[in-house]
Amino acid sequence: MARYLDLYGLFLVQRFKILMEYRVNFLIGASSTIILQVSSLLTIWVVMSQIPSLNGWSYYEVLLIYGLITLAKSINHMFADNLWTIGRQYIRTGSFDRFLVRPINPLFHLLADRFCHDGIGNFLVGSVLVITATRQLNIPWSLNNVLYLVLMVLSGGLIFIALNLITGTTAFWIMDAVPIMRVVFDFHLFAQYPLSIYPRAVGILLTWLIPYGLASFYPASYLTDRSLGWVAWGAPFVAIILLILAYQVWKFGLKYYAGTGS
Amino acid sequence: MAIIETENLTKVYRTTRKDPGLRGSVKALFRPQIVDKLAVDRISFHVEPGEMVGYIGVNGAGKSTTIKMLTGILVPTSGQVRILGRDPHRQRVDNARQIGVVFGQRTQLWWDLALIESLNLIARIYEVDPARYKQLLDQFSETLELGELLRMPIRNMSLGQKMRAELAAALIHEPLVVYLDEPTIGLDLIVKERIREFIRQQNRDKGTTVILTTHDLGDIEELCQRVIIIDNGRLIYDGPITTIKARFGKYREITFETCQPVYQAIALPEGAHIVTNGYSPEDRKLVLRFDRTLTTASRVAHDVMDQVEVNDFSLTEPDLSSIVKQIYNGALLEETTS
Repeated sequence: MARYLDLYGLFLVQRFKILMEYRVNFLIGASSTIILQVSSLLTIWVVMSQIPSLNGWSYYEVLLIYGLITLAKSINHMFADNLWTIGRQYIRTGSFDRFLVRPINPLFHLLADRFCHDGIGNFLVGSVLVITATRQLNIPWSLNNVLYLVLMVLSGGLIFIALNLITGTTAFWIMDAVPIMRVVFDFHLFAQYPLSIYPRAVGILLTWLIPYGLASFYPASYLTDRSLGWVAWGAPFVAIILLILAYQVWKFGLKYYAGTGS
Repeated sequence: MAIIETENLTKVYRTTRKDPGLRGSVKALFRPQIVDKLAVDRISFHVEPGEMVGYIGVNGAGKSTTIKMLTGILVPTSGQVRILGRDPHRQRVDNARQIGVVFGQRTQLWWDLALIESLNLIARIYEVDPARYKQLLDQFSETLELGELLRMPIRNMSLGQKMRAELAAALIHEPLVVYLDEPTIGLDLIVKERIREFIRQQNRDKGTTVILTTHDLGDIEELCQRVIIIDNGRLIYDGPITTIKARFGKYREITFETCQPVYQAIALPEGAHIVTNGYSPEDRKLVLRFDRTLTTASRVAHDVMDQVEVNDFSLTEPDLSSIVKQIYNGALLEETTS
């Protein structure tokens, strides 16, 4: 474990050296997500300025939900973006093989290979939103609340990573997994708003099947004193279960690759 | 104990065949026709520590598939492979520490990083002792002339520079076994020679076992005492290179470019004959093959030049694919029995 953390640090330093070589690229990449987020936020602002509340959720409460899912997404974006390109960039070109002839875990190698700076923009937007919303809503920054937030955001990030790992692994069979990944990934757009505004089926889907809601709606409910019971604490457990499952799927994919090599 | 052991090593690729057109695609989706392709067919051989073995065959013969099974990337369909007594796929990480791999056509390095940064990272991945790493870096820099390359990103390197960088990266953890897949492809003679010298040196000083696949007989001749030839997935020759050379090295080809188109028959000395399709008056070209044990190049040249005016001529050794073809056609067998 310590060895892997050490190695991750080294990969990260090297990655930043590359990024600094392409400074303009770095700045455009890191800020592009901010610009994308601004347009989404404008939509929320326009909608919320017309109606005082969305199914009982005020403007800042909706922003809190939006901020939480954005933070969770940014973790996936920064640390696991390479999952999107397993097929196109690694399997098709044959460079996936180099992960298999090195004495470290291939999945670790794949993820560590490219820290994605574009995620930094998402992280900043998410942080600003959560900080602004909690202040406006007078949610105290107690130790408990802060730890709760950190735990939920990390769990949310892991849920994103686990789902992308499951769908991304299909690249071993179909080479270009992006369409499949996209379908599942885009469900997180629902989790930008209170799940209570959707038909019941959507709520169930986003809680139990593609559980992005656990990282945004439920924690926001907890922080705004809407008691929803233990589901508010569901994210970390579900994240761990999903990760274990995803890793099994990945190993199954690796096994298939070892049988075909293409 | 042998360092590499394979026993009836076999790999079958299972693919689905698709008829042409949309109709075929739809059909393949619902009723896939499964086609098995035998890529490697019951190959058995042992390699002792410190050996340098040339593993050759034409494209698609099964070289890369074998190498992938030896390195643990692919699992054999049947049969056994043991590297240092380990199963290279099941004990992938332990195996990876002891092997070095160079795939000639693709890089193992980080495209945008300066070579020295890539090497630093690789040394850490393999947990090379820092003091030893420094020593090796100096050694490698000298033999491979890495000097100014260390500060250069891989993307800016020429093919020859890249290959020197790849070799350094693949050997910086002092592996016991090294697999080199086409390490000299597309390189000029000087770089080739430098790379061969480096491989020779590693083998001499550290007893590194080397498996080399190549299209270049020069590589094999300079480095290997032993060759394994495969064709259509099957092992067709495993033995000393001297045998191959004695059997097939006795043939030489000589090509003449004549001043005028030649239409009349040319009398040739014994042991020489015109190669099939080797006579084309329009191009003023004449290709002959002769047996060095029966005649000499000067004799052939003399006889031909006596009869026709020659502009230019050149002498070539038979290339690998023609040798493989001859062996496959049973030439080796024929000669030992006759």
